[in-house]
Amino acid sequence: MSGITVEQRGKSRNREGGLQEIARIWRQGDAATRTSFLVMGFGCLKRKQYIKGLLFLAAQVLFLLYMAGFAWPYLSKVNTLGTEAMRREWSEARQIFVRTPGDNSMLILLFSVMSLLLAIAFIMLWRANLRACYKAQVNEEKGLKQPGFMEDVKTLLDEKYHVSLLTLPSLMVVAFTVLPIIFMILIAFTNFDADHQPPGKLFGWVGLQNFTDVFWSDPLKAGTFGKILGWTMVWAVFATFTNYLFGMIVALMINKKGVRLKKMWRTIFVITIAVPQFVSLMLMSQILHDQGPLNMLLKKWGFISQNIPFLTNATYARITVIIVNIWVGIPYTMLITSGILMNIPADLYESASIDGASPARMFFSITLPYMLFVTTPYLITAFVGNINNFNVIFLLTKGGPLVTDYYQAGKTDLLVTWLYKLTVDKQNYSLASTIGIFVFLICASLSLVVYNLSGSSRKEEEFQ
Amino acid sequence: MKKKQTLRLNLVSLAMIATLLMAASLLLPWLNTLQMEGQKSYSAVQLLSASFLKLLPLVIAAAASAAVAILAVLRPRKGLLIVLAAALAASVLAGVYALLTAKETADATGLLAQPFMVRDLSLGIWVFLGLAIVALFLTLSAMREPTEYIILTVMASVWLLPIIWLVLTAFRQEPGAYTTYLLPKNYTADNFTRLFTETSQFNFPRWYMNTLVVAIFTCALTTIMVLMISYTFSRLRFPARKALMNIGLILGMFPGFMSMIAVYHILKAIGLAKSLISLVLVYSGGGAMGYFVAKGFFDTIPRSLDEAATIDGASRNTVFWKIILPSSQPIIVYTAITAFIAPWVDFIFVSVIMKDDYQNYTVALGLYRMLEREHIYEYFTRFCAGAVLVAIPITLLFIKIQKFYVEGVTGGAVKG
Repeated sequence: MSGITVEQRGKSRNREGGLQEIARIWRQGDAATRTSFLVMGFGCLKRKQYIKGLLFLAAQVLFLLYMAGFAWPYLSKVNTLGTEAMRREWSEARQIFVRTPGDNSMLILLFSVMSLLLAIAFIMLWRANLRACYKAQVNEEKGLKQPGFMEDVKTLLDEKYHVSLLTLPSLMVVAFTVLPIIFMILIAFTNFDADHQPPGKLFGWVGLQNFTDVFWSDPLKAGTFGKILGWTMVWAVFATFTNYLFGMIVALMINKKGVRLKKMWRTIFVITIAVPQFVSLMLMSQILHDQGPLNMLLKKWGFISQNIPFLTNATYARITVIIVNIWVGIPYTMLITSGILMNIPADLYESASIDGASPARMFFSITLPYMLFVTTPYLITAFVGNINNFNVIFLLTKGGPLVTDYYQAGKTDLLVTWLYKLTVDKQNYSLASTIGIFVFLICASLSLVVYNLSGSSRKEEEFQ
Repeated sequence: MKKKQTLRLNLVSLAMIATLLMAASLLLPWLNTLQMEGQKSYSAVQLLSASFLKLLPLVIAAAASAAVAILAVLRPRKGLLIVLAAALAASVLAGVYALLTAKETADATGLLAQPFMVRDLSLGIWVFLGLAIVALFLTLSAMREPTEYIILTVMASVWLLPIIWLVLTAFRQEPGAYTTYLLPKNYTADNFTRLFTETSQFNFPRWYMNTLVVAIFTCALTTIMVLMISYTFSRLRFPARKALMNIGLILGMFPGFMSMIAVYHILKAIGLAKSLISLVLVYSGGGAMGYFVAKGFFDTIPRSLDEAATIDGASRNTVFWKIILPSSQPIIVYTAITAFIAPWVDFIFVSVIMKDDYQNYTVALGLYRMLEREHIYEYFTRFCAGAVLVAIPITLLFIKIQKFYVEGVTGGAVKG
């Protein structure tokens, strides 16, 4: 085989898919390479790359042992998620309750997902094994020296540096983000709730039951979902735009020509974001409490005789959370818009003021359109952030006031706080996961819009 | 002569009128009582004489403002107007103080019918405050100074007052969450010392150490991982790159609370539940997902630098250590500080992972627990003390990184 054809083969490889590559290796591989399809590392071993070959072989043996020994008992039951619950029976002979261990649906599902991820990793390793064995074969055919193990390791610091850098982070992300998310997505198709808590009571697959429940078939859940979704959207719109508008006005005031001590004003506002939210918001909830300082002051001044239920009356509470969110949010918007506001061409304002435009007119005709144009991506990001704004709601009202026509939720609950309550307090995991998937769909579609608007994906290479 | 022209004379006279009205408004409460004396059991003279001393600062500030205002009209000078603005500002401060202590003032008179009195008094002071602000506004306009100062000051106080209240309450001697007065009666540092000495129920020093340890390890692990990920995605080109970045983007859009329970069970399965190590792992796993700020920074380091080094035979590993890292100090600081802050402010994940294991709580969760219904009366002032101790370092760190924070929030989508 001449050098040119090898070269061409290398080029064509860029265009072929994973399966095509495997098929080609099968076609062009010799007996040793083909054996590597079944016995990993065989080709490497035959061509005296002992360490590499043994590592592949060891990985295969370990994986098979894991699958047969540990994972199989779980994997075999994944279609039912277990049939035998743990039993406690009175044993006459021993005069005690005897526990008969049974299946545990949660563990079956968890370990099955884990095994699935491991299997994917194994398939990738298997493909790497094929490539390595085939490369060894090609090297031998061309009469090249086979790279030693140390040389292979060295490529990990150069050509394959991405492998070394990404291994640890990928493991972490897979373990603590990917695995949990897949697990919880699957939970949305089960009946894992307070009445089905393994090992005492098993849960099983229910198909799309949770989705139909939440969207139409269960009046209470569907009603709650609709109302909470509505309030979440109202909240997100108000929270986003009030903050945006007022934050920009504050930024304009601080940045105005002739205003001194700019840095001091900015720092004062920044302090309130810097204080951890659980401190500042819990403080706010205390201040706004029925017997809190604000009511106390209003009473003292004789403006009111009854305490105002800022956080315990549905309408008041909804207004209060929006207002407190302004208090929380203005500094953020101020920080973010300050820089952009200074980029607005000054001659726009100059010609406007020569034409006799009032400051308000200038704000609505120049500043706002310009800012809206530049910061649309930020606005959508902020909107998504507000849909998921857990802290403000949870720390101020805990979602309350609770009402009976809501399914385990209160009048100020957002979808995420409802989700939190369902998981942590009510252990209704399947419903929570269903809502989580829905929130994901909203956020993902909005983010997709941002991604296309900002075009940062396209501009990525331009910087360099 | 020229200097005078920079002042707006008609505004100066308006400012004077407003100031005089303001001073006059101080008489409102007493006027009010005179009219309706029959219904109330106190007389204006009594009230005036009894509360005169308490209200003295207010009266002095108002009188001074009025005097300076008249002078300013007679001889318009910038210097005089500055004095007037200062006097008006002092009046506002005195007014706010009088408002806050209105009840105490009324109490001190020893007269009956306090509710009426307090209301009369505070209504009068509110009118006084409003007029003072109008006068200040006119004075500043007359000086051709930005009137934004007034709005900014009012806003700044609204923003800072809760925090000042927090600090004051941290030093309050009287227990309880809700008091009938705003400013503490007695000050003490006991809340801080008891936080560290009475540890049987709420072991604050232990929590503080827990948080510190977790924060340090999270900071180290996250920084390393974020640098590795962002360098890889910014500089290295390999087949799965785009796919991996997209997966990262999508994963970030799932609500974090959804998978909390699963994370707990995974940690339990590997025997790490309820341990500090698990917190480090969870926070670093989450922190690693926020790599894009650092990636954006790396993208701005000129590529020619590492290309030159590659031509000289440097491996990618060498480029990372010798070229990229030395020029990314600010982003390393940013990443480290954000990672360090995370354990101090989170109370959700830690509550799911630690459940009832009090010894392994972090400060955020511990302080959160202090405000539960059964503890709030006894622990509210200590909560404030603890919150101050947490907020001070976090605030300082945050102010240090605020510049990068903007990019972090907008994901680099908005370039300022």
